[in-house]
Amino acid sequence: MNSKKRNWTPYWLLLPSFIYLALFFAYPMVRGLVLAVWDDEALLPMRTEATLNSPESGNIHIGEQVEILGRQGNLIPADEEVVDNLLTETWFRVEGETESGEAFSGWSSETRIRVREEADDGTPLAGTVRTKLGSGADPLTTLYSEPNEKSDVVASVEPRTVVQIAELTTLELWFNIRGEEDGQVVEGWVPSRFLQIFEDETRGRIDRGTAGEFTTEFISKMVNDRFFWPAVRTTLLLMLLIIPAQFVLAIIMALVIQARLKFNSIFLYIFSIPLGVSDLAAGILFFAIFTQNGLLNSVLQGLGLIDTARPYLTNETRYWILIAIWLAEVWRATSIVMVIVVSGLQAISDEVLEAAELFGAGLWDRIRYVILPLLRPSLQVALILRTILALQVFAVVVALSGGDVVTVLANETYRQYFELRNNNVAAAYAGFILLLSMITSVIYLNAIRTQEEIEGDA
Amino acid sequence: MAEIKIENVQKRFGDFVAVDDATLTVADREFVVLLGPSGCGKTTLLRTIAGLGMADSGRISIGGRDVTYLPPRERKLSMVFQSYAIFPHMNVYDNIAFGLKMSKVAKPEMDRRVHESAEMLHIEQLLDRFPGKMSGGQRQRVAVARALAMQADVLLMDEPLSNLDALLRLEMRAELKRLLSDIGVTTIYVTHDQIEALSMGDRIAVMKDGVIQQIDHPTTVYDLPSNQFVGSFIGNPPMNFLNGEIVRENGLQVRVGDYLIRPEPELANLIQNIDGTTVRLGIRAENMEAVAQPADDALQVSVLVVEPLGSQNLLTVRIGDDLVKVATHPTFDAAPNTDLWLRFPTDQIRWIHPESNVTLYA
Amino acid sequence: MSTNIGSTKPAPRELNSFQRKMLRRQKLNRGFTYGIGICIVLWILVPIFFIFSMAFTTPEVVRSYPKSILPFIPFSMDTMRFFLASEGIWAGTLNSIIVAVITLLLSTIIAAPAGYAISRYIFPWRNFYRLSILTVRAFPIVVLSIPLAILFIRAGIFDNIYSLALMHTALALPTSILVIGSVFASIPYDLEEAAMVFGCTPFQAFRHVVLPLVLPGMAASAVFTFVLSWNEVFAASILTVQNRTLPAQVLAALTNSSEAYQFAGGFFMLIPALIFMFFIRNYLFNMWGQVSK
Repeated sequence: MNSKKRNWTPYWLLLPSFIYLALFFAYPMVRGLVLAVWDDEALLPMRTEATLNSPESGNIHIGEQVEILGRQGNLIPADEEVVDNLLTETWFRVEGETESGEAFSGWSSETRIRVREEADDGTPLAGTVRTKLGSGADPLTTLYSEPNEKSDVVASVEPRTVVQIAELTTLELWFNIRGEEDGQVVEGWVPSRFLQIFEDETRGRIDRGTAGEFTTEFISKMVNDRFFWPAVRTTLLLMLLIIPAQFVLAIIMALVIQARLKFNSIFLYIFSIPLGVSDLAAGILFFAIFTQNGLLNSVLQGLGLIDTARPYLTNETRYWILIAIWLAEVWRATSIVMVIVVSGLQAISDEVLEAAELFGAGLWDRIRYVILPLLRPSLQVALILRTILALQVFAVVVALSGGDVVTVLANETYRQYFELRNNNVAAAYAGFILLLSMITSVIYLNAIRTQEEIEGDA
Repeated sequence: MAEIKIENVQKRFGDFVAVDDATLTVADREFVVLLGPSGCGKTTLLRTIAGLGMADSGRISIGGRDVTYLPPRERKLSMVFQSYAIFPHMNVYDNIAFGLKMSKVAKPEMDRRVHESAEMLHIEQLLDRFPGKMSGGQRQRVAVARALAMQADVLLMDEPLSNLDALLRLEMRAELKRLLSDIGVTTIYVTHDQIEALSMGDRIAVMKDGVIQQIDHPTTVYDLPSNQFVGSFIGNPPMNFLNGEIVRENGLQVRVGDYLIRPEPELANLIQNIDGTTVRLGIRAENMEAVAQPADDALQVSVLVVEPLGSQNLLTVRIGDDLVKVATHPTFDAAPNTDLWLRFPTDQIRWIHPESNVTLYA
Repeated sequence: MSTNIGSTKPAPRELNSFQRKMLRRQKLNRGFTYGIGICIVLWILVPIFFIFSMAFTTPEVVRSYPKSILPFIPFSMDTMRFFLASEGIWAGTLNSIIVAVITLLLSTIIAAPAGYAISRYIFPWRNFYRLSILTVRAFPIVVLSIPLAILFIRAGIFDNIYSLALMHTALALPTSILVIGSVFASIPYDLEEAAMVFGCTPFQAFRHVVLPLVLPGMAASAVFTFVLSWNEVFAASILTVQNRTLPAQVLAALTNSSEAYQFAGGFFMLIPALIFMFFIRNYLFNMWGQVSK
């Protein structure tokens, strides 16, 4: 081993793994958990003026009903794509001559110009100034230096003046809205893309936002989802049924291996085959057995116990599906526990077992007083690992029930993400699975550690 | 009665015969040591007696009961393992009490016996300690206490002292001997250390290659070994062996170098019957007489090495082609590359048949 | 004085009834253990054999009921061929292999130095590192897949088998580090010291002495990583849409596919398990042994 002065080698050696895990594990993890409680688009910031540069005047929640106080066109930033809900208005830069022969060139909203001439591709080329309807209104149309009502007035033009349309530009409409937020009345300008307008531009509703906030909305969505509680029940039920069975079977398998019979090597090979089988393949295997034309029915019929094929994997026979899942998981995942148990067993010296036998312990006594206590650390690890994996059982369920008749938490996560496109709720499910995993781990660690502490063992 | 009778026991591992036709009777309360080099089968024999491995043929009885095919726990034995085999997850009290618990001994009695055993081994203060926090010597005591608490008729011990350091081994040897003789349990003790064997056993069974060579009281094994192997294995330094030439004139004499030895009459007849001209002599280092001055009735030898061991001087001398160890009083003056004269008292010479290696006795 | 030299075969003795009973009890115990072992072997092999027989017979037999006792009547490659020709299967297999190989290489390259470090050096933070590796190891894959998918979408590398390989590596790393660490730990440092005494630099000592000894264990760990990656279903289903791996493809087609497809698919996915487990069975205990404290 190296001397006391600081040796940087180990740190260099660890660095790649550390970076990799931080990047592809820690960071996504945190983001994922955040995703479950952070709604990216819950709030819409409002501005004091109808431009993105002006300061914020407050936030308003999506879904809020608002009054529309005014509208204004605004240049769309060039790099933004066209989005839905965008209300636009087109402005023309028109050129022409007044009756008095003065040339003018200025911007006006296209609503003020009637297009009379268009190019082949529809681009407006020329038109006339429209009359203003309604009495009491200013009959002249104002032209501005920029496509913005706030800019300088360049000219005022009579109706029916002929103009050439030199340029056009599309502006996004901004609306000055008033609504309620946190019990207070707020006002501000927002781009139209975030609004739904009705009632003739007097009322509107915030459609989506750009700022995020913490919310339990996704969590409540998840909990209130009609599949949530069934999924939880089924997952926990499976867990409670599968794990004890696996441990008993694994211990039996481990003892067979430890007995070192002839052909031990072959036993070992076959016992560990399921380790390499994917949960999907295992699901298919047992599907093949339980399907109506499958092995189980064939055997039962061959033995004369039934007359016709019985269905096992249908909606009416949920408990059979559970049994099939139970079998598939026990079949597949027991090998891992067996390997851990065998390693633990090998650590128990033969002489200790011989001593136990010599001092009067039969097989049961040996298992109870010597083997199990000494296996405790291995069993602890195996238990935690298996439980966490059991909480994630996925493909087996899909293979045996299509994910509909019987559903589990992992399945729901997949469904929310894939079919319902609901990333946040999917993340909530994932977070819930994580929470369950952590809780069970802590329970195991405590339940087992307490005993050790009582015994005062190192 | 807890007499152990082993009759013609054989134990094989595949084709390899580990214990071949072993026959041994251990009387009640007797302490017998199985002694031999590594691989001689002593541990295998012990384990077969314990039931940790079934005998392939032969019969084992304990207290008149045939136990040959019984599993260990039905043989009513107690054992101390070489590695101690203490249960690491139980404290000392539970370790010692284990066998009693398995036999369903009542709690007060169990408690009494545990404390009694612990006292005998001087470990009462360790009763609630765990093995992980104890030294090797302490663990060894726990192993012995556990075995003794059973108060079984038979105690088996598999090299219990070999994992201790030299000083501790010395102490424990004496302590064990005293303890066991006080208790008076029939004991079979396995060791490869001949000093331990000589020190502790009522009788020693020397084994080699699965075969018991000799079973006798220590002094007999020491003084009257049954063959060359036993002679060379027992004793420190081991017995010396020299080749001598049989001279069949003027009665029977044996020539070593230019020195003639006249064997005792009963033995001379046996030597007479040897086919051939050589016979081997065995004599212990301390049984030769060494004189520094030339003597007519002594053999002249040259000293090669002098080892001053404190209690004696051990000289390595050359006799013909053989190297011989001679033990002398520590004040005896000798130096390397000087000469020495040795006398061989005939009653101390053991005559060994050159082919069968068996010692000739009348 | 009694001596007992030379071996004469003892005269064969009659066993009395008591001894016979004891001997029988011994044999019964052994037989019982064999029996249990064989039962478990059957339990494991029967489903596999059934799928095997279904995968290599005609689709008609696959659909038929009841299934006959004798398998492979008739023997036919039709079902397998049908499966292999199905949409996305060959591509999926290729993708699975690529992902698994990349995962294997990447995780071994990153894990090896880390494993060496934790087995050979004692440094502050060592326990912290080990603890975090253990926690990461126990992490649910489900929890990781969703945010990674979103991350990859944002980064523009979604639906890409290389990004799936990155994720699989993240999942395989902790186990690899621990396994390789325990493999290195099983080789005493004395060997390296001896090599250095005889003139090697630390690196040469590593290369000539340690590396040959750890290669089998590391190879086993790599094989295991390959199998894990090949089998992985959940993340593959989430992270790949067009460029699916085999399990993701089969899962997606599962509800709409015929039994023949499923059976052939199931068997096909099993093949690596059958092959690889045979080779690494002896290393399994090395790999998982260190796990238990």
